[in-house]
Amino acid sequence: MKDKEFNNILNECLERLLVKGESLEQCLQSYPEQAAELKPLLETALAAREASAIQPRPDFRARARYQFQSALKETAAGKGRTSWGWFPRWATVMAIVLVLVLGGGGTVFAADSSMPDSPLYSVKLATEQVRLTLTPSQMGKARLCAELVDRRVGEIAYMANKGDVQQVEMLTRRLDDKLDLLVVLVGGEEAASAPGMLMAPPPEEAAAPTVPPTTEDAALPPALAPSPDKGWGGGDSARNGNRAQLKNTLASDAASNRAVLRAVLDEAPESAKGALRRALAVSEDGYEEALEALEQS
Amino acid sequence: MQDEESLVRRAQKHDQEAFAQIYEEYFDRIYRYITFKIGDAVEAEDLTQQVFLNTLRSISSFKWRGKPFSAWLYRIAHNQVVDYLRKKKKTVVPLEENLASGSDNPQQAAERKLDIEQVLAAARHLTDAQREVISLRFTSELSIAQVAEVMGKSQGAVKALQHSGIVALRRALSVTQNEG
Repeated sequence: MKDKEFNNILNECLERLLVKGESLEQCLQSYPEQAAELKPLLETALAAREASAIQPRPDFRARARYQFQSALKETAAGKGRTSWGWFPRWATVMAIVLVLVLGGGGTVFAADSSMPDSPLYSVKLATEQVRLTLTPSQMGKARLCAELVDRRVGEIAYMANKGDVQQVEMLTRRLDDKLDLLVVLVGGEEAASAPGMLMAPPPEEAAAPTVPPTTEDAALPPALAPSPDKGWGGGDSARNGNRAQLKNTLASDAASNRAVLRAVLDEAPESAKGALRRALAVSEDGYEEALEALEQS
Repeated sequence: MQDEESLVRRAQKHDQEAFAQIYEEYFDRIYRYITFKIGDAVEAEDLTQQVFLNTLRSISSFKWRGKPFSAWLYRIAHNQVVDYLRKKKKTVVPLEENLASGSDNPQQAAERKLDIEQVLAAARHLTDAQREVISLRFTSELSIAQVAEVMGKSQGAVKALQHSGIVALRRALSVTQNEG
């Protein structure tokens, strides 16, 4: 009972200090019997609040606001989104049709080489997602994912040369997502368990307030999600051979992509250098994590 | 902010102005909440942005059932943090130079940075529930009633956690200051 009373007094003092702007002395005068116990606690609370009163960086705030407004406008404009995330519905439908029915025709080919400033780029991303989903083995997915990481680096270099900082930042996030997926895949976890990447959320998350997946890689229809029994494929010998091959590929990709990004960084406009350094760090860290995960799996 | 319920209802109908108001109202607070929870101001940027994109995508699923909108929003932020920590298996790390303070004075900035690092380091000694309460109360400035809604606990339980959290924070701060 005494504790409860003290908790109430402490809370009242905090409200007066933090919300009403009263002084510490004023609060303590109201509760002389508890003042000795209250004082250090209120001082700590004040210090914690003051120290935590950090603000987002202005450039981040501006970028975030721009991206949010763009997403808001797109939503308000009624551009349909599917459970596949942020791909426009037309791109997803087209990708599925082209990959499943045509097996990759001229449009897929054209989209495959498109860059983020191209109208076909959405088809490219959707096609990649379909390919990832339809690739049966975890080893196959890992190889494809490594290829997609390569693509993102190429796109970053392309957009950096054009001085498009926002696209470089967006692509860096996509690069990060793909590298995270790669780490999960090479780490031996089932692809289906990759958080928010290849499957719908588990039931306990679905029961929580609706929080959609975080990237365009999110939430595939369960029917297209990978079968959990498809692992690295083959026996131990084949598995080890595949792992060694993948390790060589990743080590080689890590080196070449580092070289590409460094070269672009040297030549890029000043305005794009910060974003490129971030991309370089994401690339280096991601490959390092993937190689470590492969080593430990 | 105008009546929150009508604002949210407008946002659910894709009223851009209403959504922009919600964004401006909560952006900094969600950012501080995430920073305190993960201890990394740079990583908190992307997570904060993702929280609002997720909110935009899922706001139509929000139902008024007597709970404030903020409770739902912070629940999204909480889930984002949990997902991040699970993914990265990350512990709290010192903040780096990207941390912005309210001051341009380098000395003040350095002192503030040190203070933030101390608080974040001390916060590692709190239980998850204590850290949640301290974060929601002192970085996001939610009331006890709002924190209780976010955490799904009674106000009495939140007050008790607030008390024990401040005591633990003070103890941890005195240790880190002595070590420093």
